Amino acid sequence: MAQVNSRAVDVINLMHYSLLQTDFATGTMAPTLAAALPSVQFVGDSLTHLDYHLRDATWDNGRPVLATDVAFTLKLMHCPELPNEGERTHFSFIRELLLDPADPRHFTLVCRGQAPEYRLDSGDFPILPENPLDPTHSLRQFSLATLQDWPRSTAPAPAVAALVQRYQQADPGHHPERLAGCGPYQLAAWEGNHSLTLQRKKKWWGDRLPTAPLVLQARPKQLQFLILPDDAAATLALRRHELDLYPQVSARDFQRLQASATAHRELAFYSGPSYDIVIAGFNTRRPAFQDKLTRQALSCLFDAKSLLAGTQLGQGSRTVGLLPPTSPFYNDSLPLPAYAPARAVALLRQAGWQQIGGTWKRAAQQLAFSVRYRADETTFETVALQFRAAAAAVGIPVALRPTEASTLTEALRQGDFDVCVRKLKGNPFAFNFLPILHSQSVGEGNFTGFGTPASDRLLEAIAAVGQPGRKRLLLKQFQMMLQKEAPLAPLFVLPYRLAADRHLVQVYPSGLRPGYSAATLTWAATPSPDH
Amino acid sequence: MHLLPTPLEELTLGESSDLSHVGSPRRLADRQAAQRALYHRLGLEEPVFYVSRSAHAPIRWYWHGTHNQYHRWVQQLLRGNLGYSYRTGQPVLALLQSALLYTLPLMAIAIGLATSLAIWLALGFALAPAEGGGWQALGRTLLMSLQAVPLFALALALLLLFANPDLLNILPADGMGTAYPPLGGLAWLAAYGAHLVLPLLSLVLAVLPGLVLPLENALRHELATPYSSTARAKGLTAWQVAYQHALPNALLPLFTTFTGLLPALVAGAVVVEVLFALPGTGRLLAEAAAAHDYPVVLAGVLLTAGARLLALLVADVLYYRADPRLRPSS
Repeated sequence: MAQVNSRAVDVINLMHYSLLQTDFATGTMAPTLAAALPSVQFVGDSLTHLDYHLRDATWDNGRPVLATDVAFTLKLMHCPELPNEGERTHFSFIRELLLDPADPRHFTLVCRGQAPEYRLDSGDFPILPENPLDPTHSLRQFSLATLQDWPRSTAPAPAVAALVQRYQQADPGHHPERLAGCGPYQLAAWEGNHSLTLQRKKKWWGDRLPTAPLVLQARPKQLQFLILPDDAAATLALRRHELDLYPQVSARDFQRLQASATAHRELAFYSGPSYDIVIAGFNTRRPAFQDKLTRQALSCLFDAKSLLAGTQLGQGSRTVGLLPPTSPFYNDSLPLPAYAPARAVALLRQAGWQQIGGTWKRAAQQLAFSVRYRADETTFETVALQFRAAAAAVGIPVALRPTEASTLTEALRQGDFDVCVRKLKGNPFAFNFLPILHSQSVGEGNFTGFGTPASDRLLEAIAAVGQPGRKRLLLKQFQMMLQKEAPLAPLFVLPYRLAADRHLVQVYPSGLRPGYSAATLTWAATPSPDH
Repeated sequence: MHLLPTPLEELTLGESSDLSHVGSPRRLADRQAAQRALYHRLGLEEPVFYVSRSAHAPIRWYWHGTHNQYHRWVQQLLRGNLGYSYRTGQPVLALLQSALLYTLPLMAIAIGLATSLAIWLALGFALAPAEGGGWQALGRTLLMSLQAVPLFALALALLLLFANPDLLNILPADGMGTAYPPLGGLAWLAAYGAHLVLPLLSLVLAVLPGLVLPLENALRHELATPYSSTARAKGLTAWQVAYQHALPNALLPLFTTFTGLLPALVAGAVVVEVLFALPGTGRLLAEAAAAHDYPVVLAGVLLTAGARLLALLVADVLYYRADPRLRPSS
């Protein structure tokens, strides 16, 4: 099995179970350590209670997985000096965990604020055992909120400092064998930056379940992940059966493999829409891009259909907004953005631009700008080149500024760009566009600088709505608003591509990371049919 | 001014383009608090250097004293501590050591093989007639063509030729074995050897022309000198004249080329390591540079610079030993 993954989250999910994990068959979150999805109760107008019951799961030593382990994990997450600032921020909405004295497997999470996404998001962190890390239960004397609110200028409490020191000494991040999880796999071998081998535990609590749901299945006896940085080498390794499964195959290699008769006999190919969308963003702080008509006009110069054919070799799909067409909330009554230079010219004139001496002018402004994108992404470069050619055809000079990734992020954050081409990563579970389009996120994730009181209200409503009917309505409004205001032009939804040995079944290919279900993979006697 | 490792920040705090983390509306203040905590943990809150300049007009210079990241880094360096990787949190020394375990043997074997082969080929070419000649002429043309091929194209061509089910499927595509449970003894050695064939071949073929062609030229020059004629007149065979008399003198200009290869012993060869998935220093440093993992990059630069200085020293010593004219007594 091959996978290039610096964050290792996908491997961690096989060794340490969370309360909820991704079910690749349905593309939803399913209960893993939790017996069922939590029940939600809104308290007043600012709190959410999530009620969890744990399964009859055990650690490797036979000790049951209890609510105290969940509480310990949440508290450990908020201990200072541990390298988890991202998770700490992300899960800061969970303010307390209320234990049930009558049932050690029952607990309630008290969350600050009210958002429907809390239900699934609250269970998406691996649970660690309390006893090996904190045998004296020293963290139990602190409430979760106390640890969260501990001032950074104040030294941590002695018990917390001692625990942090113990954790750092054990260094389970680099020595996973020192902290066994309750997942079905344990680390067998690890060659840094090259390969990682997981071995199925001989005795695992999940084996006792009469019918294990998909998220609790662990079929392969051994899983080996290889890091192959070069696409050509990875493709050859797959052909030579040094690999059985290759996710995130590049468009060109995927097509080449499909075209090879020998490869086609041996390999099964899977492809479908992912949740990542390529967009072009306009810096609405620039005088030329402050009016929506100019932005709409320039959006008409992107030829999404040809770009999809050229860069993704026909895979993937076009979209009307920031949702993939496969989403139940997709607004299919809106027209797909079309390449329309004539309409672009008409809209520019409507916006007050006039073509004088071959250049577009409006008062003292001249319509000439640059496009910034990541220098190492050929897809973005192709988009920029197509846009430049289309713009030149209607008399707009466009300069291309390919930029190194981190310099680009900094430049976008500081608003140092006119038009940018980039990728937004989405998922099917929740919709929160606040970080990229809300006026309060300007200077952080909202690079375009867009945000009107009306759009802010709509985005906040989407983030807070729970009822599916209402959510559908709001998201459709959002897609309409996006087409009308055009702070960014959604170009196309990228596809996922995966190639695997034909005899490998139960792959469950998906647009969600890592793109397949590793724990369910099974060898079959008969090869799987074409997909 | 602070050192802003943006990729690291995105790695730890999540990418700003990632809409997956949607449970809590991430406001600017939350992100900034997490950013401050991250900088505090990594010791990035202090200024980078002793002095800094204001970013905007009017330009002003500020003195920060010894409370700066560079001073702290030098202090730690003098204690033998190269710091910790921003990405993995591991000590940089440990990371370099494990990468050198792959790079040193690979590069040492490659340099050793290339040098021996270069001497053998240069002797063979030099003893052939300058005009015409059978395999020597063909070999010379091949080497000249090889010199024009960049390493990545050469390595990729070898990979596509020898590890391709559609052509010759005789060598592994991966530069390292992945057997589990690990192989032992001879089986391990055989597997290790098989996996190293293509990386070694790429490296040897890439440096060979640069060694052979100048050496052949120097040998031809030496063979035309009066002392070579004298040696031949005394009845020595052509091979003896070339090997025993001409070669020691012809090798002199090669010392600089040879020692120029030594820094690669520790710096590795990025192209080969990436293509054949070898976790060596070249890949480590390239990935660290891309991710702005400054402690690793600094240590790598330090190591390579040290190796370069050592190589220059070795070149001087070799010249001194090989050329009596350089000795003070002469």
